[in-house]
Amino acid sequence: MLKVDNVNVFYGHIHAIRDVSIEAKDSQIVSIVGANGAGKSTLMMTIAGVLKKSSGSISFDGELLPAEPHKILAKGVCLVPERRRLYANLTVRENLLAGAYLRKDKAAIQEDMEEMFSLFPILKQRFKQYAGTLSGGEQQMLAIARGLMSRPKLLMLDEPSLGLAPMLVQQVFDTICNVRDRGTTIFMTEQNASDALAISDYAYVLETGRITLSGSGKEVLENPEVQKAYLGIKQEQS
Amino acid sequence: MLIQTVVTGIAIGGIYALMAVGYSLIFSILNFSNFAYGPIIMLCSFFGYFGLGILKLPFWLVLILSMLVGAFLCCLSEILAYRPLRKRKAKTLYFMISAMGISILLENMVYATVGAHFYNYPQILQGTVKLLAADIGVLDLFAIIFSCIAIGALHFFINHSKPGIAIRAVSYDTVVSQINGININAIVILVFCLAGMMAGIAGMFLGMKYMAYPTMGWITNKAYISAVIGGMGSLPGAVVGAIILGLVESLSSVYISSAIRDVFSFSFLIIMLFIKPSGLFGKTLEEKV
Repeated sequence: MLKVDNVNVFYGHIHAIRDVSIEAKDSQIVSIVGANGAGKSTLMMTIAGVLKKSSGSISFDGELLPAEPHKILAKGVCLVPERRRLYANLTVRENLLAGAYLRKDKAAIQEDMEEMFSLFPILKQRFKQYAGTLSGGEQQMLAIARGLMSRPKLLMLDEPSLGLAPMLVQQVFDTICNVRDRGTTIFMTEQNASDALAISDYAYVLETGRITLSGSGKEVLENPEVQKAYLGIKQEQS
Repeated sequence: MLIQTVVTGIAIGGIYALMAVGYSLIFSILNFSNFAYGPIIMLCSFFGYFGLGILKLPFWLVLILSMLVGAFLCCLSEILAYRPLRKRKAKTLYFMISAMGISILLENMVYATVGAHFYNYPQILQGTVKLLAADIGVLDLFAIIFSCIAIGALHFFINHSKPGIAIRAVSYDTVVSQINGININAIVILVFCLAGMMAGIAGMFLGMKYMAYPTMGWITNKAYISAVIGGMGSLPGAVVGAIILGLVESLSSVYISSAIRDVFSFSFLIIMLFIKPSGLFGKTLEEKV
C-alpha cells in the first residue's frame, strides 16, 4: 500500500532522513519507534508532502504520491500531526468539517460525524465548543476524528499518546486498533515504544535518520537490540 | 447637531470598516500589511468616476463593476507580487516591500496617465433626510447601509460557509490546513477577491464623499489604524475599531477643529497601543504560535 523507497530529506545542511525505505500493507498497524530527533516527524511530514524529499520515491497503491499536501490527502493519505495542532479558533464541529474539506457528499459527511461521536462520545458533548477549550485527551480524540473525517485509506499518526495520562494512552491505542479493524491502515510514530509495538503488525526502529531494525511488532519488542538501541540513543543525547 | 455628527461619524467609520476588513482579511492569512490595498481602492474610485461621470451608467451597475475591478486587481497583485514570494517562503518584510512597490507603481501610473487632478463625482445620492430633528445626508445613510450589508454578508460567509471555515483554518495553521486537503493558493485568491470587493465599495463611497485623486489611497492609513485598534486579523475588531475612529474624527472635527482631525486619530492610535497593543479583539501571540 504505502512504499517509501530510499528517501533522503535535508534541513539545510542537516541530513535528517537517510536512505529510509519502509512499507505498510493493507489494514496493518505499522509503527516507527525512536527517540527525540531521530527523524520520525520529519518522515511523516515528508510523506504528507509538507517537507520535500531530496531523493527517493514515495508511492501509494502503486502510484507515486503528488507533491502538494492537499493532493496527497485526495489520494487517501492523511496525517494527524504531532501535538494535535487543532484549529483552536474553530469549534469541534468545524474542526471535523475542516477534516472533510475535500469531500462533497454532504449526507455521508453527516453520517461520518455521527460515527465519530459513537467512536468518541465526549466529542458530542463538546460539539459547539472551541477546540482550544478541550482537554489534552479530548483534543487527541478530536485530532484523530478530524483525520478520519477525510475517509483516509492510510492514517498517519504522529505521537498519538504524547502528553496524555496513562489511562488515556490505553484509550487512544484501543481506538487505533478499532480504526484499523474498520479497514484503515495505520502508520504511526511513537516514543512510547512498548505500547505501540504491542499493537503493531510491523515496526521499524529509526535512529538518527536511519532505519536500524525492523520486524513484526512482537519481534522488535522482544529483540534485545531494541533496548540496546534505545540505551545507545540515550547515551548519545546526554 | 450631535446626531448629525454621530451619523456622519458612523458613515465614515463604515467606509473605514470596509477597508479595515479588507486589510484584516489579508493580514489574517498572510500575516503582512498589504500597503498596495490603498492604491487599489483609489483605482476603484477612479473607475467609479469613469462609470458614473463619463459613461453615465446606473449607480448599482457601477458599484458591482467596481467590486469586480477591485477583486481583479487584488488577485492580480497576489499572483504577480506575493505568490512568487510565498513560493520562496520569504519573510514578512519582503511582502511589505513588494506591497509598497505595487503601491508606488499604481499611484504613478495614475499620475502618468490621468494626471494629478481631483475628479468630482456627478451629483448622486445628494440631499438630506430629516431624522430626529437632524438633517442626515443621504450619502451617509447609503454608506452605512452598504457597509452593513457588505460586512454582514462577509461575516456570514466566513462563519457559516465551507470556504469560510477553510479561511479560518488557514489563518490559524497554514501547514495543517494543507494536510487537511485545503489548497492554500485557492484560499489566498479567495481572500484577495473578498478584500478587493470591499475595496470596490469603499473606493466608490470615498470618491462620492471626497472626490477621486491619485493619492487618495493614503486614506487607508485610517483603515490601518482601525484594524490595529480592533486587533489585526480580527474582523469584528476591524469594524468596531473603524466605527470608533469615524466617531473620534467627526466629533473632533465638529467640536474642536477639523484642521487637527488627524492629530486626534493618530493620538488615539498611540494611546490604544499603549493600553492594549494587541487591539480590542486581537489574538494573543501565544495563540498564533
